[in-house]
Amino acid sequence: MSRLASIVAVAAALAALGLRPAEAADMDDAIYWHVQADQLEYRVGDGADVLAWDANAWIGNDDHRIAFKSEGENPVGKRLEEAELQVLYRRPVSEFFDVNAGIRHDLRPDPDRTYGVIGIQGLARQFVETDANLFVSETGDVSARFEAEVDWLLTQRLILQPMVEADVAFSEDRRIRSGAGINTIEAGLRLKYEIRREFAPYIGLHYERKFGTTANFARDEGDDVDALRFVAGVSFWF
Amino acid sequence: MWKRTLAAVAVILLAPVSAWAGIYDLTVGKTTINVAGKDQTAMTINGSLPGPVLRFKEGEDLTINVTNTLAEDTSIHWHGLLLPYRQDGVPGISFPGIKPGETFTYRFPAQQAGTYWYHSHSGMQEAVGMYGAMVIEPKAREPFRYDREYVIVLSDWHPDDSPRTILSNLKMSADYYNYQQRTLGTFLDDAKKTGFGATLSDRMDWGDMRMVPSDIADVSGFVFLMNGRNMEQNWTGLFKPGERVRLRIVNAAAMTFFDIRIPGLKMTVVQADGNSVRPVPVDEFRIAVAETYDVIVRPTENKAFSILAESMARTGFARGTLAPQMGMAGDIPSLRPKQFLTMADMAGHGGMDHGSMNHGAASGGVTHTMPDGTVMKGTAQDAHAGHAMPGQATHTMPDGTAMAGMDHSAHGAMAMTDKADPFYAPGSGLMPKAADGGKFLSYADLKAFKPLYPDRPAGRVIEVRLTGNMERYVWSINGVKYSDAEPIRLKFGERVRFKFVNETMMTHPMHLHGMWQILDNGSGKYNPAKHTISIAPGKTVEADVEADAEGQWAFHCHLMYHMAAGMFRKVVVERETAEVIR
Amino acid sequence: MIGGQGQGSGGHHGAMAAIGAPGKASEVTRTIDVVMQDNFYEPEEITVKPGETIRFRIVNKGTLLHEFGLGTATMHAAHQKEMVVMMEHGMIEADRVNHDRMKMDHGSGGHMNHRHGQEHGSVLIEPGKSTEMVWKFAKEAKLEFACNVPGHYESGMVGQFRFK
Repeated sequence: MSRLASIVAVAAALAALGLRPAEAADMDDAIYWHVQADQLEYRVGDGADVLAWDANAWIGNDDHRIAFKSEGENPVGKRLEEAELQVLYRRPVSEFFDVNAGIRHDLRPDPDRTYGVIGIQGLARQFVETDANLFVSETGDVSARFEAEVDWLLTQRLILQPMVEADVAFSEDRRIRSGAGINTIEAGLRLKYEIRREFAPYIGLHYERKFGTTANFARDEGDDVDALRFVAGVSFWF
Repeated sequence: MWKRTLAAVAVILLAPVSAWAGIYDLTVGKTTINVAGKDQTAMTINGSLPGPVLRFKEGEDLTINVTNTLAEDTSIHWHGLLLPYRQDGVPGISFPGIKPGETFTYRFPAQQAGTYWYHSHSGMQEAVGMYGAMVIEPKAREPFRYDREYVIVLSDWHPDDSPRTILSNLKMSADYYNYQQRTLGTFLDDAKKTGFGATLSDRMDWGDMRMVPSDIADVSGFVFLMNGRNMEQNWTGLFKPGERVRLRIVNAAAMTFFDIRIPGLKMTVVQADGNSVRPVPVDEFRIAVAETYDVIVRPTENKAFSILAESMARTGFARGTLAPQMGMAGDIPSLRPKQFLTMADMAGHGGMDHGSMNHGAASGGVTHTMPDGTVMKGTAQDAHAGHAMPGQATHTMPDGTAMAGMDHSAHGAMAMTDKADPFYAPGSGLMPKAADGGKFLSYADLKAFKPLYPDRPAGRVIEVRLTGNMERYVWSINGVKYSDAEPIRLKFGERVRFKFVNETMMTHPMHLHGMWQILDNGSGKYNPAKHTISIAPGKTVEADVEADAEGQWAFHCHLMYHMAAGMFRKVVVERETAEVIR
Repeated sequence: MIGGQGQGSGGHHGAMAAIGAPGKASEVTRTIDVVMQDNFYEPEEITVKPGETIRFRIVNKGTLLHEFGLGTATMHAAHQKEMVVMMEHGMIEADRVNHDRMKMDHGSGGHMNHRHGQEHGSVLIEPGKSTEMVWKFAKEAKLEFACNVPGHYESGMVGQFRFK
């Protein structure tokens, strides 16, 4: 825990260094910041109900940003199941893509794990938001995560948002019940209504399936290997 | 109401002072305005929005005291004026700015005549009210005559978001303000008109570029103002039938291009950016941000005429009225259909591979390849693009000049009308077209009345590529934004040619401080001198600059959020050191 | 002399009769100097008597082509539309008359040249040149002298005749 706190403190200090009022002459180098909860939702269906989140924040100018990412799942009435926080340095590398590099810390599953992160994130063709990351854990295990999401406008405010996420590990880390190979695939379909750009309630479906050894670990613990749930939530930013 | 009265009094008080003293006092402060159904705070000059019309005389030695009562720095820039660079009012380039509580005294002679304007050059204050018109009376008789005149200052007021919030929102999400995007509905509409395959292929082409064709203004939600009044508040100018009325039109908007017409009246354009041009009678014209046009109208009927300034993105009107008496109003037509950019507007878009752009050519009969290789798509909603398609009476030559068809037999008096403007990409979705038929002004029509400089070839060409990254909302010149760029250095006395290449999908009104830009519109020695030149998407436009003003000057896109996001350069005009004589 | 020219609409005949007719040099009672500038006349008002024959001595001191044409506001308005077409067809340019093109048959534009000339109370004068026109005024009418080169009338290159 103290390790996590120190990561946050260092990041905040870095960001604060860049904070200064914008002069007219260098207005184009101003510091901006935003906080965004892409998903903050309640899932109901197979297995226990789950409260899940996927949020991020950034601060910086056009060229240098400090970014924070957090996602997790908390089965209602049970112990926190998954929770991670990333602190990243972000820099543009092409017209549409940024590179992220930094640290990821998972509070859950137990025991906690710290990873080095390198990833690429941006807008691919056909407006597909993509985020691909490679992780190296403190135990030397290498894993990767690929996420893609797209907004299809049904109207100017009603948006259908399909997403997919895949987690892959290149070696087994038995203590966190992660096998080698494809571990998990998640797919979602959410229907959002943007009351404002900054605030959109939504409903949808979320499907999650574990594979291979990871699925076996789940079975051993009496957990489901797949789950389909209805979701309701809000996305917002400021 | 008392505030408006006070502002009017301020204008009246200013006028007589100007006649002999040449000393003017301006105070920058905050004022409550109501143009969007609620009281809001504007930053103003002498308590009014727009600020007072400053009337100077050509040759007058001006002393202008500007007092800052704001809690932040301010400045006033005299847009289009030739003056010593330290009087130009750009913080960080010409002077340090005016601190809270301080008074700065500008001193310079009025060297020119015509319609100009002034505005803050600090912290986006211009977008919240700090602008006004400036009229300099000429020494000599002007090449036209009028019985009365009105200044018309157009602007855009954002009732919801501060400039800082707007820029922050755009950095977070470039299409934050775009509520005219393509949806499932428009897909189905288009599929019905042009077929499923063609529509899908078109969507894929735009998707490959990650661009949206409805992005014409970047920011929406503005209330458009004419002399500080919204449509309902209906600014009105009076006339007697038969009088010639000179309208001095200034576009002081932060982000909005306007298409201006007065249904029922021909407008004769007599000045552009303060300089007289050979008179051009038109039915409609587009005014870029920061430009000025003077037109003469002659209403002969005893009725009200609407002055309509329709935003280029077709989101609203600034509107006023010319009437024989107060309280009258002309008709307000409905807005024209939304314009969409076409692939022609993307022709200059560089920096990525566009292999896919040609796929469309194979997929249906709606794509045309021009001789210069530009691919034009005409989808159903591109009604305007359709007009400019090849096969009409106008042909665009590879060098971009438009040639009217040599059809000598069937021309009526309307022959001047439906020509493609050579200052837009052939097939551009922004191609201007007069709402009520007739002539739409083109830059090609502007011919200097009296050239300001002898015609001579430029010694060198400086390429000014207009570049940007819409997704990140970073705007730049030659791919580098202001804070990362070296200044452009000119030698005093040289004539250089700026070659503007617009590689973006937006239209950029490029403003050079302190020196004229002599727009090459094919008129040779009669090329018009402008302070602001608008470059349409996918176009290359050239302009000569006589580097006759020593010092350092600002040079930038006058769209507020493009300037603030980096489309800006310092231009330094310096004498060669060898010439320094003790 | 007046009839049988151009389209020769009835209205045109009537208007021509009202504005007067080319005069005889022997009947000239006064000479009036008119200076053309860009884009206005000096003077901008001329007083004449009904039936009077006047020699106009007109010099173009501007840099642009100008017309000195006599007519009513309605006649001038019609003439302006024709001159737009003349400019379109290259018969006139901003500062010159292209005489070779004037002679060409440009379809519907062909007759326009015939509206100019002393016999019609209209002369086109290139920059730096001068000419004379003798005109016999008819009865009192609302007459203007005007330049119908595109944009010139609109920007105020028009003067009034006052009858006394």
